Amino acid sequence: MIAKALRGGFSRRMFLKSSAVTALGAALPNMTLAAGETIKIGFLAPLTGPVSAWGKPGLDGCTIWAERVNAEGGIKLEDGEHKIEFVAYDNEYDPAKARTGATKLIREDGVSFVMMLGGDTWPGVQPVADRTGMLFSTLLPSDLSPDTTTLVAPTEVHPIYIVTGVQWLAENRPELKTAVMCAQDDALGLPSVATYLAAFEAAGIEMQDDPLLFDPATTDFAPVVTRLLSSNPDIVCLDTCYSDYVHPICTQLFLQGFKGQIISATADFYDQMIAKTSKEFMEGFIFQFPDFDDPALNAEHINFPDANGFYTEYNKRYPGQWGAVSWEYASIMELWKLAAEKAGSVDPEAVLAAMQEGGKGQHAFGEASWWGEELFGIDHALVGDWPVVMIEDGKARIKAFVSIPDWYDQHGDLLIKYMTKYDQMWSQRS
Amino acid sequence: MIELLAQTGLNAVYAASYISLVAVGLVLIFGVMGVINFAHGELFMAGAYVVVALYAQRFVPFFIAVAAGLVFVGLLGLLMERALFRPLRDNPLGGLVASIGFLMILQALAVMGFGVRMEYIPPVTQEVIAFSDKVRLPISRLYVIIAAVVMLSLLWYFLKRTRFGWALRASAQDPQAAALQGISVTLTAKIAMFIGAGFAGLAGALTAPLVSVNPYMGHSIIVTAFIVIIVGGVGSLEGAVLASIVYAFVHTFVTTFYDGVIADITGLMLMLIVLIVKPTGLFGSADRA
Repeated sequence: MIAKALRGGFSRRMFLKSSAVTALGAALPNMTLAAGETIKIGFLAPLTGPVSAWGKPGLDGCTIWAERVNAEGGIKLEDGEHKIEFVAYDNEYDPAKARTGATKLIREDGVSFVMMLGGDTWPGVQPVADRTGMLFSTLLPSDLSPDTTTLVAPTEVHPIYIVTGVQWLAENRPELKTAVMCAQDDALGLPSVATYLAAFEAAGIEMQDDPLLFDPATTDFAPVVTRLLSSNPDIVCLDTCYSDYVHPICTQLFLQGFKGQIISATADFYDQMIAKTSKEFMEGFIFQFPDFDDPALNAEHINFPDANGFYTEYNKRYPGQWGAVSWEYASIMELWKLAAEKAGSVDPEAVLAAMQEGGKGQHAFGEASWWGEELFGIDHALVGDWPVVMIEDGKARIKAFVSIPDWYDQHGDLLIKYMTKYDQMWSQRS
Repeated sequence: MIELLAQTGLNAVYAASYISLVAVGLVLIFGVMGVINFAHGELFMAGAYVVVALYAQRFVPFFIAVAAGLVFVGLLGLLMERALFRPLRDNPLGGLVASIGFLMILQALAVMGFGVRMEYIPPVTQEVIAFSDKVRLPISRLYVIIAAVVMLSLLWYFLKRTRFGWALRASAQDPQAAALQGISVTLTAKIAMFIGAGFAGLAGALTAPLVSVNPYMGHSIIVTAFIVIIVGGVGSLEGAVLASIVYAFVHTFVTTFYDGVIADITGLMLMLIVLIVKPTGLFGSADRA
């Protein structure tokens, strides 16, 4: 055949054409599965390094989720049932490593879907997503833009969900009138600052000072806390600080004599915070991530199967490791499974279409809508209710599920105002 | 406002204490051996993990765990001297590169031994000296201040009043002349490494219950220590202590009255100004700079 081609004249144009076709073919992942073949899912997140707390617990949760699904036969596609398996790649929260990992997962491992933490690592991966058409998920919708057509944020609409905690606080503790806030100066902290500012303004709570930004390398939080407490605030807001910051800040608040309300996006390992301070000090602490043994998660509208059993199994296998992301990646998989079964295939385009059919999706905390055009330039964030969690007698308990879209309908202009002020709108991020 | 100033002052004294312990150790190693020890931050981390292993996990009394941290990290220093710096004695750049390699090994060992999570360490005490409602000094922070004053005083006495101390200073000033006087350069290097590393371990161990202990906690302290020794004068112990105090007060007050990011920039500006006005640092000599 080669000889024939050569005899017929293998022109430069033909060479370029055939090279392009070959390159395109190599770039596209193989989306077809043999009957009964195991479906592979990529897990591309930090598994080591300072940000690993938002990767590794999620992989552990996915392992439990996969065992449960496989025990029931697996994913039911048009050609029958398929077991599911996770292929992990540690991107160490490094964009270059994330890019290498994405390429490896798609080309070598043949995954059908890739889950990421997102954030700083997404820009490294986006060219791979564009080239291959692979479906990716992120926990951080600030990665979304009109160009990210194969990226979805189907679980954690960070930081928009934090408005629910402030709204609940304003409705249930109206005597709290003033607040101060601190945050690490990074891609996670700043959109959260903008959102909290909008939420406090919407709730009629006065900010006593500009948000106090600190370097992510900070280890001694005494000066930060001294400054926060200097204006005698009713509320101290810890923004979306990593647990490495939340713990020492709370310890300092305790040691420097603060007796008011604390609100934070997360409170991972809050039992340790109680041990470092006191049960009384932590009483009433508001945050946004429930323990999954909460009775409220047995409600009919919850779309996370046997949440309490999942929590029990997780703690049995990984004692003391339950955190904000332990359930989130598994929750994304639940949504993906429903979509794949609806589509009857693992083809990324078909799965995405099935996932977004009718503009609705089954979020872990109830039915939600695909949303985000105004903030992210694309309706690829799944938004609905989000729980407000309070520490009561040393244990996290869901106090209410509050609607994010309802808040946005009333106060969306405030959110856009502050997102714009902090350069966090999608058009500013580029 | 007076209360705010007083509390900020107390915060700064604490910061100056642990920074000076780390910086003095770094300067001592550089002064005697001529090696920039990039793994010094990880020695600080190793001290913290000794407290995790003994105090948090095996319920050994805190101060025994801290003493163990000093000794263990001091021994790590001896290991570095023997395995890395002695074979590369005439190659300062080689020593620097070797210390970077050792840094990575220590981080990897911490990850393998303890995982990547933040370690929980129970509070040593929750007692606070309350000068007023707004001016409070936690006892756990007072321990760090006292330890720094005591250890730096002992070091000063050792260097100025003992024969070993004189030998150490002689080796730092002119290793060849010291050797001609019968001073063992190897022995002085061992002493310097043990004390320098031990001080970093002590600082890490003492502050462990007050910070987030993780395998990467050495990054920020090594940057601070380098700023401090450049401002103080590379090779000057007095300069390191004074620069630690100046840096801690500037950084703490700027953090409190502006914000932490501006405080970091101010710290770097301080270093730049010193480098422009007095390139050898506040107490540095031209031959060391």
